[in-house]
Amino acid sequence: MTGFLTKAIHGPNPLGDPHGTLRAPVYDNVAFGFENAADMQSAFQGHRALHSYSRISNPTVADFETRVAHLAGARGALAVASGMAAISNTILTLAEAGSNIVTTHWLFGNTISLFEQTLGPWGLSVRYADFSNPASVAAAIDDKTRAVFFETVTNPQLEVADAESISAVAHARSVPLVADGTATTPYLFLSKDYGVDIEVISSTKYISGGATAIGGVIIDNGAFDWRRHPKLQATAKRFGPNAFLMALRREVYRNLGACMAPHTAFLHALGLETLPLRVDKSCANTLVLAQWLQRRPEVRGVNYPGLETSPWHETAKQQFASRYGGILTFDLADKEQCFALLDAFRLIARATNIHDNKTLAIHPASTLFCDYTDEERAKMGVSNATIRLSVGCEDAADLVADFDQAFSSIEVGR
Amino acid sequence: MKITVNGETKDAPAGQTLSGLLTTTGVEDPAAVSVQHNGEFVDATQFGTVPLRDGDTVEFLYFLGGGR
Repeated sequence: MTGFLTKAIHGPNPLGDPHGTLRAPVYDNVAFGFENAADMQSAFQGHRALHSYSRISNPTVADFETRVAHLAGARGALAVASGMAAISNTILTLAEAGSNIVTTHWLFGNTISLFEQTLGPWGLSVRYADFSNPASVAAAIDDKTRAVFFETVTNPQLEVADAESISAVAHARSVPLVADGTATTPYLFLSKDYGVDIEVISSTKYISGGATAIGGVIIDNGAFDWRRHPKLQATAKRFGPNAFLMALRREVYRNLGACMAPHTAFLHALGLETLPLRVDKSCANTLVLAQWLQRRPEVRGVNYPGLETSPWHETAKQQFASRYGGILTFDLADKEQCFALLDAFRLIARATNIHDNKTLAIHPASTLFCDYTDEERAKMGVSNATIRLSVGCEDAADLVADFDQAFSSIEVGR
Repeated sequence: MKITVNGETKDAPAGQTLSGLLTTTGVEDPAAVSVQHNGEFVDATQFGTVPLRDGDTVEFLYFLGGGR
């Protein structure tokens, strides 16, 4: 079993279900009983692999975690309540008051808000660098840096950093590299092959398939030597390469309580099976639309890593095996024209979220980044004239037809 | 010889390795546990070569904290 799709469909089947079910059932319960007090003690102390309470572990969630780790070729994975929970659990495991993380201004708005507004008052500093320039990242790292954090495809700027180069400068200072791989998943970007140590993913997106439930997953690729990490040194002495997963599962994740619901795990494990099929279709559709939009006179510019005009085309081509993701942005003359086009769509939905099976459009400046000033948005690369498109799995011809009728029905930028 | 396993004193045959101990202790999946020998982490690849001695302490924990 070597193909990604085969592994996604069959998985490692760890349950050993007595009825031989081919799909992990939904253990939608809170507590698990024990034969005797000694077994209960062993479970609580971690001496036996028994579930006790679904905030800590649950068979359906464990099945999803095992499948993700199997696909990523990782040491382990841990499922959480959302993509934001994946980021917050990870940073709280790696960093402490007085420490810092190195990242970029080009991040999902809520992630910046988490780092600065939520964790800042608790003593976390954020140092910003230009991730298109590894030397800039190297210069931002100091002896208080606990993680370097980036998105594999930034949203909505669609920058693709050279992960291997960033990893090299982080590892030279004994700092783990954390990647938000929501836009790529292990299917487009096998992060362990590019020096990423921890990958966080919003499984709400590509993995769920059809946007069925909110969820997230944290993947430890297993290569980082945690004895070199100031926060996890003591844990590493006891648990070696399992230090991050141990600190996460037995402390941060347990105490924060942002566990994945069993029903969500069932839905996301189901979505995982068809992930490669949906990602391939979404990527193919996005390239068709990007090239079509480039030819429209109303469009001032199209940004998509799959276009040779993108400054990140070559990096994306190498890292993502010639597939470029399902998000593109394009610019019209101004915000008013963006709103007019959005209102004219008949098939494409006006909605946030990305990597739904349905194609979704949004004006990022007035929605996802509405908490920021024009100056702050400019620093984040978010323009008032930009529409973001998350391209789904419909027939490409129908998407082109919807754009065509929308442009025809309004006077845009002529 | 006497060794302490997860806080309990047990008899073990002379020359037993960590690998043998995990088997006799009934660990369901040795690949899924973190093992400390006299307070130090031992990599799974070393389980078969680490000999136990009288008075040793061994702790093992499922690194996913219960359930896989």
